[in-house]
Amino acid sequence: MEWMITANEPNKTYLMQGNEAIARGAIEAGVSFAAAYPGSPSSEILTMLGNVSEEAGLYAEWSTNESCSLGACLGASFAKVRSLCIMKQNGLLVVGDVLHSASLSGVKGGLVLVVGDDPSAHSSTNEFDSRHQARSAALPMLEPATMQEAKDMVKWGFDLSEQLQQLVMVRSVTRISHGRSNVKLGEIPEESIKPTPIGEWDRMVAINWFKAAQLNKLDQAREIFENSPFNWYVGPVDAELLIITCGTGWFYSQEAVEALDLKESVGILKLGCTWPLPEKLITKHLEKAKRVLVVEEVDPFLEQNIAQIIAYNPHLNLELLGRQGQGIISRSGELNPDIVRNALINITNKLPVEIEKVEIPADEMVVLPARDLTFCAGCPHRASFFILKQTLRIHEGQGVVMGDIGCYTMGGQRAGHYLYNYLGCMGAGISAGEGLGQLERFGFDQPVIALAGDSTFFHSCIPALINAKYHDSNMLFVILDNSATAMTGFQPHPGIGLTAMGKTTEPISIKNIVESIGCHVTVANPFEIEETTETVYSLLKKPGLKVLILEQECATLAVRKSEKRKVWVDPDLCRGDDCGCGRFCSRVWGCPGNIWDDETGKAVIDEVVCVGCGVCATLCPAGAIKVEGGEAIG
Amino acid sequence: MPGGMDLKGDVLNNSICALCGACLDWCPYIKNLEDHLVLRFDCNVEHGRCYSVCPRTFTDWQMISEHYLPDTPKNLEIGPYINVYQVKANREVDGKQDGGTVTTLLKTALEAEFVEKVLLTSSDDHVVPQAILTADVNEVEKAAGSRFLSSPGLRKVIDAQLSGLEKMAVVGRPCQVQALRKLDYNNRPENHKVDVLSIGLFCMWSLKWDFKDYLETQFPNEEILRLAIPPNGFEVVTDQQVGNLPFEKVKEYISSGCHYCLDMTSELADISVGALETTPGWNTVIIRSQKGQELFDKAVELNYLVKKGYPEAELDRLKQASLVKKARAIKVMEEAFANGMKPFVDLAQPDYVQVMKLTEGVVK
Repeated sequence: MEWMITANEPNKTYLMQGNEAIARGAIEAGVSFAAAYPGSPSSEILTMLGNVSEEAGLYAEWSTNESCSLGACLGASFAKVRSLCIMKQNGLLVVGDVLHSASLSGVKGGLVLVVGDDPSAHSSTNEFDSRHQARSAALPMLEPATMQEAKDMVKWGFDLSEQLQQLVMVRSVTRISHGRSNVKLGEIPEESIKPTPIGEWDRMVAINWFKAAQLNKLDQAREIFENSPFNWYVGPVDAELLIITCGTGWFYSQEAVEALDLKESVGILKLGCTWPLPEKLITKHLEKAKRVLVVEEVDPFLEQNIAQIIAYNPHLNLELLGRQGQGIISRSGELNPDIVRNALINITNKLPVEIEKVEIPADEMVVLPARDLTFCAGCPHRASFFILKQTLRIHEGQGVVMGDIGCYTMGGQRAGHYLYNYLGCMGAGISAGEGLGQLERFGFDQPVIALAGDSTFFHSCIPALINAKYHDSNMLFVILDNSATAMTGFQPHPGIGLTAMGKTTEPISIKNIVESIGCHVTVANPFEIEETTETVYSLLKKPGLKVLILEQECATLAVRKSEKRKVWVDPDLCRGDDCGCGRFCSRVWGCPGNIWDDETGKAVIDEVVCVGCGVCATLCPAGAIKVEGGEAIG
Repeated sequence: MPGGMDLKGDVLNNSICALCGACLDWCPYIKNLEDHLVLRFDCNVEHGRCYSVCPRTFTDWQMISEHYLPDTPKNLEIGPYINVYQVKANREVDGKQDGGTVTTLLKTALEAEFVEKVLLTSSDDHVVPQAILTADVNEVEKAAGSRFLSSPGLRKVIDAQLSGLEKMAVVGRPCQVQALRKLDYNNRPENHKVDVLSIGLFCMWSLKWDFKDYLETQFPNEEILRLAIPPNGFEVVTDQQVGNLPFEKVKEYISSGCHYCLDMTSELADISVGALETTPGWNTVIIRSQKGQELFDKAVELNYLVKKGYPEAELDRLKQASLVKKARAIKVMEEAFANGMKPFVDLAQPDYVQVMKLTEGVVK
């Protein structure tokens, strides 16, 4: 759908995904530079910008991590070009130091940082609310409530950034980034902005001398926000019950007010500028209200800051309700129309207007089967976790496993035999392992394994590996190299040899990096289950730091490249539920390609999902699983 | 009969596994590497072959003995037997331990077509054991010599069973002979049955694989040619020397499961073979069944084996040693059962009570 991002059709309206609208907004602003690290729900933005980079005359990169991406954007900004930085909420924590420094040094060319938050953590390990970082770093933040606003705010964010000489943040959430609605296009500048030479006395320096300037910029932003068209009010002039909302809460609140027929009595103040808060605007509405319900995604951020406004204005006398106030809305989790409507029913005792229900006949109802979060069919991680689990059991030393972030995070669940003892953030596994690996001197004798994927290795494991090597930690670091950033959609990383703009570049070898640090590296194939088990077992018995690369390409990529082999079950050999099997393939190995036929009481292969890796054939104790052309793995 | 999770709870978690190997290679849940034998994943089978064949799950050994050796005169100390001889191979067998009797019996069994194949333990480096199932006499001769590291050789029984073998001879430690009888006794009617001729070894214990690392520290860069227990200690023959290891040190490496063993002489075997401590170069042979007698007679008839009558004093020594092993194991079990381990032997059985009576004051 990239054509919509670059279509030079001002005033035309298209149905756009929020992430498309964000990319479009940047192009309308004449962005020259874009950098990101992938993470749901923000990943599509840079993919699209990369795809149109030539046409739009911009540079786009998948940076090695978020710090690299924001740092790169700051460099571009120094030369007065406009730059867009994109990441998810976890990335904003990775980039904390860069962000706080950027706020002190300020920017020159417009710099907009788009953060995709993930309320309810659908594709994340947490639902961190990125607005705290805006407040902490004293940076202006905008929060779109519609796809149109997503585009317009990004575009305006560049103007604001240049006006204030400050970085501007835009907070999207999953439902904005991945939802679709109509967006009216604006103009695209004929030429993007060219770099300006940096003069001998030009400076961009992050030092506390500039704290006053930093706060001054925040005050200026507040003044601008007081009159911003992104904030508006609907409802009666003297509403006693006021909803203050932002982002997705705007639609949900509107819907709830309509459903409860409260339009005559309830007002909605919708804020698009959520840091610093337009205090005068808010105070004006608070003065008339007796009760205020705050509707916002994730944390009671607006609510607590409104509470602060109330505390500083003794003449305000009202009841504040929300995620914190009386717990009207739960303290965590994503909003939806029902949650907001129920909150309003709770406050007003008003029952919803009867809506005519469409009855679906019972035989037309589709009940979706419950599904585990699991690895894809043929995924090398399934084999890796199988190997690690069985090796730790064989070793009988109660090994401890430090997990990390990627597809293989699911290895902490049933798909990976609940292998993880520890799971933190990207790069945390190896550091936690390093620490445990130092406790041998105090009698800690359990083997320690830390895991990381290839993309995570580049992102945040290299300093930790140097640390572990330098201090000779007694641990096994396993790199699950599937040659992909698979979890977020196959964005290239430094080991791949491709850029966001589709250019080839020299890939960087993980093995070479590890060896250059002075570590001995073992490379093994996770599809060779028994051999690799012996390899892991022997490594666990060695003292000091050991590094193992388990190398096998992501099945989703591999299957695109070659003809898939047919795999089938010989029912005469299959032992099924009996002793000596107990449905080992479908129950324990657990590949979605290995399924169970209740009628025959035998295992079968689901030909649609099977990718033909053939690993299950080597595990079947009865030799009942057959592979076209023999059992060679791969 | 319980299943895999019960095997894990009752046997593996209690570290009483004898590492016989009877449960292996049929089951995808039970996994072995070196001397580790574990349930690699949780099994959901309620009635498992594993539990039914394990020599460390509850068994009425007197009943099993009665079933397989009904006509053999009973003996409390060394189990039922027909005859005891001192024996040695008539010609030199490379790598043999003492008299070379086991190798000779296997050779006889194959050549005289008592069996199609034999299952025994071989080793590439004289230390690390591996099981072989073979019909080749040369391979049998190459495998001569004792292994001291515990190894789950019975894993190959399933190969014999699945390949439809009719008759085979199996050389095993006492725990393995016990498992062979249970394998046979509990074989499911739908599964092929192999007629087994069991050659049981005398065994005091086997060693953990860590012993291999200890050997390496004691004889670095030397090739180990032979390990033996002559009366005066633990002998290590390398390519450079004949060394000795302190017996007390070696004992630290005894496999934990061996402390629960009541059987020194493979009392359920068709024929048992062991060292004869007072006469180096000769073996003790105990014949327990008609099948065992026939094999032995054939070996003598073919002039492969030389036999002599067994000295009375030597038999007394053998019986006393066996009795002491039983009493030690009973003590260990009494304590373990009192501490909550699920009993796998009925210690109130009159034979065991008698053992304790006879060894009162001897075993502490």
